[in-house]
Amino acid sequence: MRILIADDEALSRRLLEKTLEHAGYEVTAVENGKRALEQLFKPDGPRLALLDWVMPELDGPGVCRAVRTRSEQPYVYMVLLTSKGSKEETVLGLESGADDYLTKPFDSEELRARLRVGERILLLEDRLVQARENMRFRATHDSLTSLLNRSAVMDLLGRELQRSQREHKSTAILLGDVDHFKRVNDTLGHVVGDEVLIEIANRLLSAVRSYDYVGRYGGEEFLIVLNSCDPNYAPSRAEEIRKSISNHQINTVKGPLSLTMSLGLLLSADWGPRPIEDLLHEADIALYEAKAAGRDCLRIAKPLGKIEAPPVAVQQAVRRRH
Amino acid sequence: MKNSEESISEQVWNLPELHERVENDQELLRELVTIFRRDFPRTIRSLEEAVAAGDLKNSASLSHALKGMLANLGAARAAAAAAMLEKMASSAGEETSLKNALNALQREAASLLPELDAYMKEVRR
Repeated sequence: MRILIADDEALSRRLLEKTLEHAGYEVTAVENGKRALEQLFKPDGPRLALLDWVMPELDGPGVCRAVRTRSEQPYVYMVLLTSKGSKEETVLGLESGADDYLTKPFDSEELRARLRVGERILLLEDRLVQARENMRFRATHDSLTSLLNRSAVMDLLGRELQRSQREHKSTAILLGDVDHFKRVNDTLGHVVGDEVLIEIANRLLSAVRSYDYVGRYGGEEFLIVLNSCDPNYAPSRAEEIRKSISNHQINTVKGPLSLTMSLGLLLSADWGPRPIEDLLHEADIALYEAKAAGRDCLRIAKPLGKIEAPPVAVQQAVRRRH
Repeated sequence: MKNSEESISEQVWNLPELHERVENDQELLRELVTIFRRDFPRTIRSLEEAVAAGDLKNSASLSHALKGMLANLGAARAAAAAAMLEKMASSAGEETSLKNALNALQREAASLLPELDAYMKEVRR
């Protein structure tokens, strides 16, 4: 565990440094409060600090106050070292944001015991942060596939649509549905069905760029958002995504399966500002058309109720590449 | 070495206490004495100047620094003298009492320093 010592007095600093090294700490020692802040404000800086009260530049309580004004940062456990003993000063020290204080000259056993208290607090904080992160992930992700869940991907799509509107770019919305998925579940069971969904999720993620979004929209339905996607290239990118499913069999515990996906594509630039629900509805109609056209294909939603197949050249080009 | 009849609080330099504090790290103990012998003379010189100039603020902070140094070293009597001086300087004490307190600190230092020198001579042998 790393620890910062700030003490302007060389003898005391050296004594502390050695005592803490003996106790197994990785020690950084500085001689004033300003240097202490520099260390503590470093990304990944020490989270335990032993600060002398009286120091040039910035005193111990000053360091505590500066550290405590920062928010959204990992907690720093700070112990003030003081030769002052009065109650008022103890209160002043703790009010400045220190977690504890020790009077000098310190007793090394007591010092170590108090630092262990600090370590316990930090461990507790780490656990809380971890728990919060886990909950945040669970609240925004699908538990089976670990993709974004429906509400999370729709949130992101909403923001992306606003951004593309502002920046005069186009967002491509793709709704994909696994063809005849019910048959997999009915004939091979839900375990295989789950395996298929996980593999499809992985393939979709590999088929998009790191800044695109893939979410599980419903049972076997996926929503893919291609951010700032040139409308001219969107159909061929959608075709590639489709092919990423049909090109290779999916291995399951019941053997390899050949599966396909039908897709409905919508380019936000074609539609202008519309509520997200309307756009998704239109993409869904295109997806339905793809199903009606025999599945394993792509249909593009155009305004005025027009549904288009991708240009033949696009289909052929993609076919050649695979 | 001090007379064994003297109580702990009257010891000029409590070496066993310091041994305990450094957890019997002899090398560290020598290093601390060396740091002290390097820092103490110039700090007390600045303090003498501050007291002579009636500079209460510096008198207080310098005697505070000396108090810490001395206490860490296990020189309780000199540390108490430095504490007294710090207290007087902080509460804007009379010039004469400030000078008296400084004299007391100097007297303590005068008995402490030879002990440190003797120790260093001893361990170097």
